[in-house]
Amino acid sequence: MSVLEIRDTGIRFGGLVALEGVNIDVPEWEIVGLIGPNGAGKTTLFNCIMGLYTPNTGTVSYRERDISSLPTHRRVELGIGRTFQNIGLVRGLTVLENFLVAQHPRIGYGSLSALAGFPRTFAEERRLKASAMEVLDFIGLTHLAESRLDGLPYGTLKLIEIGTVLATDPDLLLLDEPTSGMGPEEAHEFGERLLELRKTLNLTVLMIEHHVPLVVGVCDYVYVLNFGKVLTDGIPAEIKSHPEVIAAYLGGDVEEETTDVPA
Amino acid sequence: MGTATEAITAPIPATHDRWHPSTAGWVARLTVLVLIFGGVLWVTAIVPQYWADRISLAVIYCIIGLSLNVVLGYVGQVSLGHHAFVGIAAFVAAFYVTEQAGCTAELGCPFDHFLAGIGLGVLSGGVAALLLGLVALRIRGLYLALITLTYGFMAERSIFEIPSLTRGGAGMPAPRPDGILGLNFTSDRGFAFLTFVFLALVLFVDWRLLRSKVGRAILSIKHSEPVAASYGINVTAYKLLAFILSGMFAGLAGGLMAFRATTVVSNDFNFSIALLWVLMVVVGGLGNRTGVVVISAFFALFPFLPELWTAADRFVVDTLERSMSLVTIVFGALLALLTIIQFPGGFAEQVSPITRWLRGQKFSMHPEGEGGHSKGHDKSKSDKGGGLLAKLGLHRGEHDEPAEEADEPEGKN
Repeated sequence: MSVLEIRDTGIRFGGLVALEGVNIDVPEWEIVGLIGPNGAGKTTLFNCIMGLYTPNTGTVSYRERDISSLPTHRRVELGIGRTFQNIGLVRGLTVLENFLVAQHPRIGYGSLSALAGFPRTFAEERRLKASAMEVLDFIGLTHLAESRLDGLPYGTLKLIEIGTVLATDPDLLLLDEPTSGMGPEEAHEFGERLLELRKTLNLTVLMIEHHVPLVVGVCDYVYVLNFGKVLTDGIPAEIKSHPEVIAAYLGGDVEEETTDVPA
Repeated sequence: MGTATEAITAPIPATHDRWHPSTAGWVARLTVLVLIFGGVLWVTAIVPQYWADRISLAVIYCIIGLSLNVVLGYVGQVSLGHHAFVGIAAFVAAFYVTEQAGCTAELGCPFDHFLAGIGLGVLSGGVAALLLGLVALRIRGLYLALITLTYGFMAERSIFEIPSLTRGGAGMPAPRPDGILGLNFTSDRGFAFLTFVFLALVLFVDWRLLRSKVGRAILSIKHSEPVAASYGINVTAYKLLAFILSGMFAGLAGGLMAFRATTVVSNDFNFSIALLWVLMVVVGGLGNRTGVVVISAFFALFPFLPELWTAADRFVVDTLERSMSLVTIVFGALLALLTIIQFPGGFAEQVSPITRWLRGQKFSMHPEGEGGHSKGHDKSKSDKGGGLLAKLGLHRGEHDEPAEEADEPEGKN
């Protein structure tokens, strides 16, 4: 069964066609890679999956349920977690508070009882803090709990972001260039960790990634996006040697004429 | 792991060893707090009645400051039409007690009618702000500021000119409530103490706002709506909630203003006062409760300060032939300019060593957890990825035994 089914998704901004007729399946427990040159529409597709953009055509289904008309926060509640290319954390809040934000949908009190200061909101806040501290302890960042994010190293922020997204208890994880800024070795190590994470947390993953060795190493299946369309898809070994992929990435000679030309 | 991890973990002391004040330290902090709050109440108790009346105005300004702070400080949007919320609520409260409950200055006004009037004021402020909030879902920044400005003018020209609601230029009477429990609220001093109770209420709600998921949600939305939504926060609902709450605070202030003045005149609610309110929140420190309260009170009392010094009073009134309200707005604008250029964070930032000390931290010029790590770490390659990712609980690197698999934390599910 597919966890995520994207059917005929298309979106245009003014005259620019960002995505057109995209079909993608993410089966249970697989790590699916999404590759393609800059501007191919990968992040746009993520935004469509999350409901941050409303596609002009097509549907997005999560576990056989059409979620196309659900607002973003409802999709998150269903179990879709997402990281951002340029770190999706709340600057100005402390590390601990970011973990509390990540718990938002599962907080056991209503907004109005919070404002009225009902005693159980105090108790729940204490409980949340304790569990957030456990997670921080788990990833070894207890000492940073009270620090604000500004000024923390990039690598730490990336770790915190993945930590907070995992704290939302996702079932399907969307990773947007998780290894950006990492060297090849670190990227490789990340791949290992991802495989472990999938095993321990039962995750299904859709991942935008540029490091081809990482994609080949961890992905079960790969989609190649180019000019807003799925150029090709297949198992990593096929993709690696696919002439059009090489052409799209390296700008080399194309043996057969590609149909999409727009800028 | 190795060096990459150490580079990050080394400089900052562990949180669980955090410093806590001794018993004597807590007693000292408590004493200072009692002196501050007790001092304010004591001053209110001993000053002449007309100064007590001014203190009640200062308290109402504090509530207005906290109201604007929700929009300006927490949501991060400008409202130049707050006088509309305050004014509408003032008229609604006055209209209720005079026209519906039949209160007059001679007959007095039962306390429950007063409470109902205030309650309706709060409600009308909330509804008025909800309408603006719906607009704010679509637009923001400069354009929203323009809309709020228009909203304020629209209220001035329409709602404030409905004769049955405002009784034209003469104004709508709003007699102060009869006392309860042996207290007298018709005197200026008694009413001032009553306003303190309402300020305490607003401070409580504001405190719970920031210390709960509501405040965190609103601050996340201010930072980035896509990020907030991706953490499962209902952006639309919380934005509206923030506007409604701000409007309800403003409505409370409006209701109190009506009873303080005992007659509500539409001239009292104009654009220049809305501007002054924005300035005082900026000077106080956006998003900071203490700063906003102190500076709001200061702005409210500023026009009366020259009275304390005859020479200054003569200069303003006789030499400049100006009313102090004009001086206040010019002075306020200059202060705001100074704040933005020279003292970002406003008054709150300047007194933050004291407020942090009162909250039980060491007296220091820098907040805890900051300044410990150098910014030099920024983007340095060694900090990224590997070593840290190993800490994501996945201790089974290539060095570990596969048998440890069973040790994987399952609690994360």
